[in-house]
Amino acid sequence: MTFEEAEKELQQIVERLESGNVPLDDAVALWERGEELYKLCRGQLDAAQGKVEELAKRVENARPQSV
Amino acid sequence: MAKVEAIDYGDRQVYTVSAFNRGVSSWLQRLPTVWVEGEICELRRQERWQSVFFTLKDAGDGSILAGLMPRGQFDALRLDLRDGERVHVYGRPELFEPRGELRLRALSIERFGLGEHLAALERLKQKLAAEGLFAPERKRPLPRIPRRIGLVTGNDAAAKRDVIAAVQARFPPARILVAETFVQGPRAASAVVDALRAICAEPEIDVVVLARGGGSFEDLLPFSDERVVRAVVACPVPVVSAVGHEQDTPLCDLAADVRASTPTAAARLLVPDLSELVAALDRARAGLGRGAQRLLDRHGERLDTQRARLGRASALLVERRRAGLERSAAKLRALSPLATLERGYAIVRHEGAVVRAASSVSAGDEIDVRVAEGSFSAQVGE
Repeated sequence: MTFEEAEKELQQIVERLESGNVPLDDAVALWERGEELYKLCRGQLDAAQGKVEELAKRVENARPQSV
Repeated sequence: MAKVEAIDYGDRQVYTVSAFNRGVSSWLQRLPTVWVEGEICELRRQERWQSVFFTLKDAGDGSILAGLMPRGQFDALRLDLRDGERVHVYGRPELFEPRGELRLRALSIERFGLGEHLAALERLKQKLAAEGLFAPERKRPLPRIPRRIGLVTGNDAAAKRDVIAAVQARFPPARILVAETFVQGPRAASAVVDALRAICAEPEIDVVVLARGGGSFEDLLPFSDERVVRAVVACPVPVVSAVGHEQDTPLCDLAADVRASTPTAAARLLVPDLSELVAALDRARAGLGRGAQRLLDRHGERLDTQRARLGRASALLVERRRAGLERSAAKLRALSPLATLERGYAIVRHEGAVVRAASSVSAGDEIDVRVAEGSFSAQVGE
């Protein structure tokens, strides 16, 4: 599941819960699902490592020589 | 060649102005015909003049050279020249003898440089626009959180560093793949095309940003090259064009899915703000907890209400029954003869039947008498 998908589902769950039109059993299940999605999203953000790589090899011929 | 006569003053040879000019003029005529590059300015053309006059200015140091061309020839070129346009003039030097002025007699004029580029660029723009390459419906939405960002940039450190810094400041987990390439000079266009293709072939690239710092019109020309424009259009992922400054509009800007006038603007397009993202997530979670809690509360309240109603309903029922019972008892009491008996009346029965007339009994009959408190038997007398 991508971050966007998880985040979107989380938003939908929040909206449903906030609307108040949810049977009790569903509410508990939704809440649990929401927490799960939240952890998934936060986890993805926390785990992501910023990185800058150079695409050197394949454009070597397109690369300027030192000036 | 006319002979230039000098006047002899002793051992000094002296020329008249006219003779001098004539002499220089005839010497100049021996010089070859050449191409001269410059910017057209002060173009003066009038129907009654035989020639069109102009000044050629050096774009580098501003040196100037007067020029002229027969009006008929000039008109035949249909150049529609405007001041500042760069031209190549094919001509030879001559001296305007009456004034001793050097000028270039043009045999031909060709538009060149900026003017020529602009015109060619405009034609290319029209052509590509007609193909629909710049159409708004072609624009693709950018991913909100790209897995990897492809950055095609020159090795001019500024553009590269600025874009990377701006992206990282906004979204530290960003992953950026950089393809350095020529961004200037005759090889730039094909190099940029190669870099675009190479970077798009890399895995997980969700968006590409083409970045180049500001520069002169000519510096940015590769980004208006047809090959680059087509490569941007053909890019399988959305392209952000961050080329030059606000006032520059290279054609790749028009072909890109979105253009950014600064590295910061590019970063805003490329990645979400991490702190905002986290705040939104936390808000969603809080909403989740609140929503669930509210639902629980609501269900609990509903339950309490039901229970209270249940209690009230049963109490009411009992009360209602009790009241009914009381009413019945009262009615019963009202109808009962006991009250009458208590006032001292008695009920007399003979053989089970109530005696209502004295004539219905005879002396000696056994009768039963019911009073308020109990009953007794008696015998009818005379």
